[in-house]
Amino acid sequence: MTARWGMTVDVNRCVGCQTCTVACKHANDTVPHVQWRRVLDVETGKYPDVERLFLVVGCQHCAEPPCVPVCPTGATAQRADGLVTMDYDTCIGCASCAVACPYQARTLVHDREWYYGTETLQERYVDHPERMGVAQKCTFCNTRVDDGLEAGLKPGIDPDATPACAAACIADAIKFGDFNDPESIVSKLVSEKPSFQIHAELGTDPQIKYLYDTPTVPGRDPDAADTDDEALSDPENPMVGPLQTFWDMRAAMNFIMGGVGAGLVIAAYLSYLIAGIGDEAMLGLLMIAGLIIAVGLFFVWLKIGRKLRAPLVILRPNTSWMSREVYAVGLFYLAAIADWFWPGAVLHLLTAVAAALFLYCQVRILHAGMGIPAWRVPVMPALLFASGLLEGAGLLAVIYAFADMPANGWAGLFEWGALTAVATGALWLVYLVKAKSWGIPPLSRAVLNRVAPWVILGGHAAPLALFAAALFAQPVSLFIPGLAGVLTVAGGAFWKAVVITRAAHQQGFALAKMPRRGSGRYAAPSLVEAA
Amino acid sequence: MNVIPPKKTTEKKKLPIFCNQCVAGPDLMMVEVEDGIATRIDSNYKIGDAHPGGGPVCVKAFGLIQKTYNPNRIKQPMKRTNPKKGREHDPDFVPISWDEALDTVAAKIREVMDSGPTDESGFPRIAATFGGGGTPTQYMGTFPALLRAFGNVDFGFGAGQGVKCYHSEHVYGELWHRAFILTPDTPLTDYIISFGHNGDASGGVAGVKRHADGRARGLKRVQVEPHLSVTGALAAEWIPIKPKTDAAFLYALIHRILIERDWRAICDMPFLQFDTSAPYLVGPNGYFLRDPENRKPLIYDLADETAKPFDAEIADPAMEGTFTVSGLEAGPDGEDWTHTGVVAAPAHQKLIDFIRPYSPEWAERECDASAARMRQVADEFIAAARVGETIEIEGRTLPYRPVAVMLGKTVNNGWGGYNTCWARTQLMCLVGGLEVPGGMLGTMVKLNRPAQERYLSAKPGEDGFMEYPFNATSKNEWQRNPHIRNAYRTLVPIVGNSPWSPALGPAHLPWLFLKEPPDHWPKPTRPDLWFCYRTNPAISSWNAPEVAERVAEFPFTVAFAYVPDETNHMADILLPEATDLESLQLIPLSNKSVEQMWTARGWTIRQPAVGGVVDCKDMTDIATELAKRAGLLEKYNEGINRGAGGARLVCDDYDYGLDESVAHPVEEIWDRVAKAASHELTHGEQVVGIDWFKENGYMLRPFPQLLWYLYPYLKDRGMRFEHPYQERILRHGTQLARRLHEIGVQWWDRQLEEYEPLPTYKPFPDLWIEHVRDAGKDPDDYPLWAITARSMQYSWGANAGIPMINEVAQNVTGHKGVIINRQTAKKLGLVEGDPVVLESVTGQTKGYAVVREGIRPDTVLMIGQFDHWKMPYAKDLKLPSLNSLTPLSLNLTDASGSGADLCRVRVIKGEGPRRQSS
Repeated sequence: MTARWGMTVDVNRCVGCQTCTVACKHANDTVPHVQWRRVLDVETGKYPDVERLFLVVGCQHCAEPPCVPVCPTGATAQRADGLVTMDYDTCIGCASCAVACPYQARTLVHDREWYYGTETLQERYVDHPERMGVAQKCTFCNTRVDDGLEAGLKPGIDPDATPACAAACIADAIKFGDFNDPESIVSKLVSEKPSFQIHAELGTDPQIKYLYDTPTVPGRDPDAADTDDEALSDPENPMVGPLQTFWDMRAAMNFIMGGVGAGLVIAAYLSYLIAGIGDEAMLGLLMIAGLIIAVGLFFVWLKIGRKLRAPLVILRPNTSWMSREVYAVGLFYLAAIADWFWPGAVLHLLTAVAAALFLYCQVRILHAGMGIPAWRVPVMPALLFASGLLEGAGLLAVIYAFADMPANGWAGLFEWGALTAVATGALWLVYLVKAKSWGIPPLSRAVLNRVAPWVILGGHAAPLALFAAALFAQPVSLFIPGLAGVLTVAGGAFWKAVVITRAAHQQGFALAKMPRRGSGRYAAPSLVEAA
Repeated sequence: MNVIPPKKTTEKKKLPIFCNQCVAGPDLMMVEVEDGIATRIDSNYKIGDAHPGGGPVCVKAFGLIQKTYNPNRIKQPMKRTNPKKGREHDPDFVPISWDEALDTVAAKIREVMDSGPTDESGFPRIAATFGGGGTPTQYMGTFPALLRAFGNVDFGFGAGQGVKCYHSEHVYGELWHRAFILTPDTPLTDYIISFGHNGDASGGVAGVKRHADGRARGLKRVQVEPHLSVTGALAAEWIPIKPKTDAAFLYALIHRILIERDWRAICDMPFLQFDTSAPYLVGPNGYFLRDPENRKPLIYDLADETAKPFDAEIADPAMEGTFTVSGLEAGPDGEDWTHTGVVAAPAHQKLIDFIRPYSPEWAERECDASAARMRQVADEFIAAARVGETIEIEGRTLPYRPVAVMLGKTVNNGWGGYNTCWARTQLMCLVGGLEVPGGMLGTMVKLNRPAQERYLSAKPGEDGFMEYPFNATSKNEWQRNPHIRNAYRTLVPIVGNSPWSPALGPAHLPWLFLKEPPDHWPKPTRPDLWFCYRTNPAISSWNAPEVAERVAEFPFTVAFAYVPDETNHMADILLPEATDLESLQLIPLSNKSVEQMWTARGWTIRQPAVGGVVDCKDMTDIATELAKRAGLLEKYNEGINRGAGGARLVCDDYDYGLDESVAHPVEEIWDRVAKAASHELTHGEQVVGIDWFKENGYMLRPFPQLLWYLYPYLKDRGMRFEHPYQERILRHGTQLARRLHEIGVQWWDRQLEEYEPLPTYKPFPDLWIEHVRDAGKDPDDYPLWAITARSMQYSWGANAGIPMINEVAQNVTGHKGVIINRQTAKKLGLVEGDPVVLESVTGQTKGYAVVREGIRPDTVLMIGQFDHWKMPYAKDLKLPSLNSLTPLSLNLTDASGSGADLCRVRVIKGEGPRRQSS
C-alpha cells in the first residue's frame, strides 16, 4: 500500500522552543523571515482565567490540498504518498496557491535579504536563487524521506529519513510517519488518543493531527473567550490571520478590468440584440473591451514573480481556473479578431460567450482563494459575476452618453443596468449579513462594514435609482445613465480593490479542541476532592 | 571588504561537536562543512537514548553558524588607544599582531605578579570573571591551568552570579542533600509543584524531553508564579502569586499537612524518624540536647522512655510532645550548657509549633492565592506521594515517592530563598521523598568534594549528618581579612571554599563596595589586571549601567572578545578567541547540572569545523603562549598534567603527562587529555587519542541509575538528612555575628538575622518597597513589580547579536518588549506595541508594551537580558532589561550573599512610534 505521510503534534508536549523552526531553517536553507515550520504562542481567556499553549503550524500536506488544483502550471503537485511538493522551476509566482492555503503555509520572496544586511560566506553556500519570486513551503523534507527510504531507513524512526522538524523536536511533540501503516508511530498515536485537524470543516483533510489530552489534562471544547470577536480582532494574536500581501492592486486590477471588460462585451451583445446597434458599433465596443481586459492582464503579469515564465500558465486547464481564464480570454480575442474580419451575429455571440466564460473563470479564481475567508464565501462567484455585468452595463452607458446614440440605441440598457444593480446590491447585502456565519474574520468584516454604505448606496442603490429614473425620464438625459455608469464602474472597482487588498485577511488558526489547563476555570481537574 | 567567492562545492563532511552554551549541556551536534565553510547544524542523533534528551540539540545550537560568520566579529587582536574609559568614550581600538598582543598581556602578567601576590588591601592583583553558570569552562581550553599558574586570582567579581542563578538552592541544597541543582526524578515523578521554575525554557533538552514524556503519561504539574511562563503554559494549572511570597504558599502546604491533617497517618514516619533529624531533642537554648559523654544529639525512645544518642538502637523515636531529660547543649564558640531534668522537645515538635501560625488563610492574605487551592495542592501532593510504596532500581528496593517541589530563580534567590528552600526540603522530608526514586534529587556538587562523584562527597560527619565544608566562624579560625573582594569566606559560612565558592559568594558586592566602601573593612581595590571571558557584566549584572562604570575604572582589562560589547568597550586589549566551531577541547559528558541524570558517562569533543574566518586563536594556544611569554610555562604545564584540562594526565594507573619545560601545541595537549580520559573511563581497555574523538564525537560507558539517589548511600552508612532543625546554621550565625561585631562591622546585621534554625517568614515584598522609601521616593509612585524570565532561545547563549535567533525568538511572547497585563495597560492608556519607559529608583529602561492576559495586573516582565548599547545588531533590538532597573544593594542581599531579580517600577508611555506589527 502506498504510504500516506503525515504528522502528529502533541500540544501537551510542545514547549514552543522553536527548535523545529530553526532546524527547518537550517535543513531547508530558508532566508530571513521565511519559516516553513513555526510554533505559535497562543493565549486565550482573560486574567485570572488564562490558558497558554504552543501550536506547531506549517504546510499540512492536506489529502485534499486546495493549493494543488489552483496551480496553473503544475509546479505544485501532490505525490502518491500524499506529499504536496513544489517545482521551483515551473512556478510562475502567481501566488494562487498562497491565497488558496488556509494554513498560511506558503511564502513568496521577491527581494533577497541577508541576515546581517550583507551576504555572508555561509549564506552564499546555502543560497537557493531558484526560490526567488516563486512559491515556497514545507516539503515534509521530501528529499530526506526519499533518500532515507532509498538507503533503507524508516521515516519517522530514523532521524536522517525524517523531516528535520520532527527529528529535531526536543519534546517529541512532532512525530512523523505513515498513516496508512497501522504500526507507524503516528497511526498508533491517533488510534490511542483523540486528535483533531485544523479547519477540518474546509474539507482539506490535513495530514497533521493534533493530540490534546493527557491522563491529567483532559481536553475541552473552545469556549466563547477563546473565539470571541474581541480576541480575534487583535492583530497580535497569532491565531488571527494577517492581511494577505500576495495579491496587491496589480492583481485587483485584473478583476476590476476583467469584470468591466467582460461585462461590457455582454452588455454590448445585449444592446446588439435588443437595440440593434449594428456590427460597427459592436466591433467598436469589442475593441474597447478587449483593450480594457488586456490592461487588466498586463497588470497581473506585472505582479507575478517570474514574468518570463508566464506562458506556462496554460499548463493546467484540467484543474486551474487561472489556466482556463487564459483559454477563455484567448477564445475571446480569437473570436473578436475573427469578428473584425467577418462581422456577424454568430461571432458576436461567440465573443459574448467567451467574455462570459472569461468572467466566470475570474470569479472562480478568486473563489478558489480558500485561504482568504472573504473570498471563498458561497456568494462570491455570483456577486463577482453580477458585478461584472453591472459594471459592463455601466460602462456601456458611459460610452453611449458620450457617443451620438439614437434614442432607440438605449433600448434595454436601463433595464439591464437596473436588473444587474438589484442583483449585485442584493448579493452584496447577503455577503455582509452572512459574513460572520461564513467565517469571515472580524478584521475583514470591519473593513467590509466600513465600506458597505459606500458600495451599496453609491455603487448599487444610486445607479439603480438613476437607471430607473432614466427608464421613466423622457427624453433621455445623457447625464442620468452616464452618472449611473460612472458610479457602477467606480463602485465595482472600489469594492473589488477593497475585498482583494484590504478585507483579505488570511484564514487564522483555530483549535477544535483545547487541553484543559491554565488558571482559574481553565485549570485541569484536581486529583483530590476539595477540602 | 565583504568579498564573497563563488560557491564551488568540492568537499562536504559532517563533524561531531558538542554544544554547551547553557548549563543544561552538553548536547551533541553535527556541523556540516562544505569546502571549509560551515553551512548547517544538525543534531548528532547517533547518541540516541544514551543521552537523556534522546539526541537532539536545542534552538540555541543552531545559532552557531551565524555566530561564526557574524561580520561584526573582532577580526584580529586590538589595543585601546584612547586612555579614557567609559560608555561615552570611543575606545579607539586599533589592530595589532598576535605577537604584540600576547607580549603586552604577558608583560602585564609579569609586572603584576612581580609586585607581589596581593595588593595593599590583601586582595589578589589579578582578577578574572566568567559568565554563564560555569559554561565558559567548557570552552576555555587549558586557560584554567594558566589561572592556576598565576597563583592568586580573585574570581569574585560577579557577572550576575547569585543574581541569575538558583543561589539558595545551590548552597542549602548542597548542605541538605548534596544538591547544587535539584531536579525531580522526572522519569518517575507523577506530581510537581513548581514555584516559578521555568524548566521548559531552561531545563535543556533532557529536561524538556523528560517532562514532556512525563506529561504524556500523566505527570501533573501545578505552576505557582506571577506570570504564565513557557513552563507554566504546559502545567495542568497556573496559580498566579504575588512576587516573592512563595514561602507563604509553601508554609501553608506544610501547615495543611502537619496541623490540619493527621500527619502521623499521611507522612513517611520511618523516614522522618530514622532518616532525618526530626526526632532530635532541642534544648531550651535552641541547640540539640546531647549526651554529655559522647556529645551526640539525643532522641527520646518512647519504647523505654529514655533519651538515647541518635545512633543507638531506638525502637520508637518520639516525634512530638516535650520530655524532661538531661543532657548538654553545645552552643556557639564552644559554650556548653549542661542541663539536668530540662524540658526538651523533638525537632519535629518544634516544627509543628513553628508552622502553626502559617495557615492557608494567613498565606492567602500574604501571597494572594486562594486558601482552598493551597489545601487542595497539599492534599494532591500527599495523595500523589504514595507513602509506603517501594520500587526496585537495579536490584535494590527503594522508597518510591513520585512527587517533587521545584523552585525558580527569583523564588530561591535572595531574601526568602532560605525559607523557600527549607520549606521545599521539608515538604519532601514529610513524605520521605528526598533522594529516592520519583522524588527530589541533586544532580551534582560544586561546593563539596570530590566534584566528580556526588555520592562520594557524602561523607559521614558529626551528629549523624553529612560532613559540610562550612567556612569557619570560630574565634580562632574565622578569616578576619577577606582573601578576595567578595569576602565569601568571611561573610558566608555556608558557601564553603571550593573553586566554585567565589562565584557563589556575594559576587555583586565588589562592584557595590568600590562605590560605597563599607566600614571596618579593607579598602576596596581594583584589580591591576582583569581577564573577562564569555561574560558581559555591563549587561548581565544588577544595575548594569553602574557596573559598566566600575568596569571602566579598572586599570588594565584583557577581554577575550567575540564582538564589540558593553564590557570589552572598556578593555585595553581584545583577544579574539576561536569560538564554538573553531576550537578544540574535550569535556566530560554526563551527570551534571540540570536534569542530567544519565545512565552513561564519558567524554565528548569540540573540534575546529572551520578556520580562517577571522584571525583568532584557540584558547588553549592563547593560554600556552601567555604562559610561555610570562615565564609560567612549567607551572602551567604542571596544571595541565594535574587535570586542568578536565582529566589528570598522570596518576598511578597511567602517565600521559606533558613535558613541563616546553610549550605544546593544542592538538598535542588534547591528545594527551583524550588518552588519559579514555584510559580512566575504560580502565585502560580502550585508550584513544584526539583523532578518535574527532571521528567518533564521544565515548560513553554505563553509569548505574542507583547512584542517582543519595538515600541508599546515606542509609548504608548510617547518615541522616539534616532537617528540619538547622542547629549548625544557628551556631554559625551566632558566631559570625560575634566575629563581625568584634571588628565593628554592623552593616551585615540584617543578614545575620537570617541564621535561624527554623526560618521565620517575613513579608519579603516589603523589603523592596522599603528600598524605594530608603531611596527617598514614594512607594506609591512605583506601583508595579518588575520581574524577569529565562528564554530558551537566549539564556546563557551570549547570542543577542545573532539575527536568526532573534527571528525565531520573536515567535515566543515577550521577545518584543515588556509583558504587561491587559487591564493594567488599559489603565495606563497603553496598547500593544506602544513605546514604554520603565523606571525604578535605580534606573530606567525602554521598550515596547507586549499586552497579555497571562500576567498579574501588579507585575511586568522583561525576558532575558538586553538593553545593549554597544553590541552590534543587539543594540538595534530596542529590548528592555530588568538589569537596568535592579539595584546593587546591601539591604537587598541575603545572608547567603545573593539578591533577587525583582524591583518596584512605574511604567509610563514613551515617545516615538508604536512598534511595527510583525
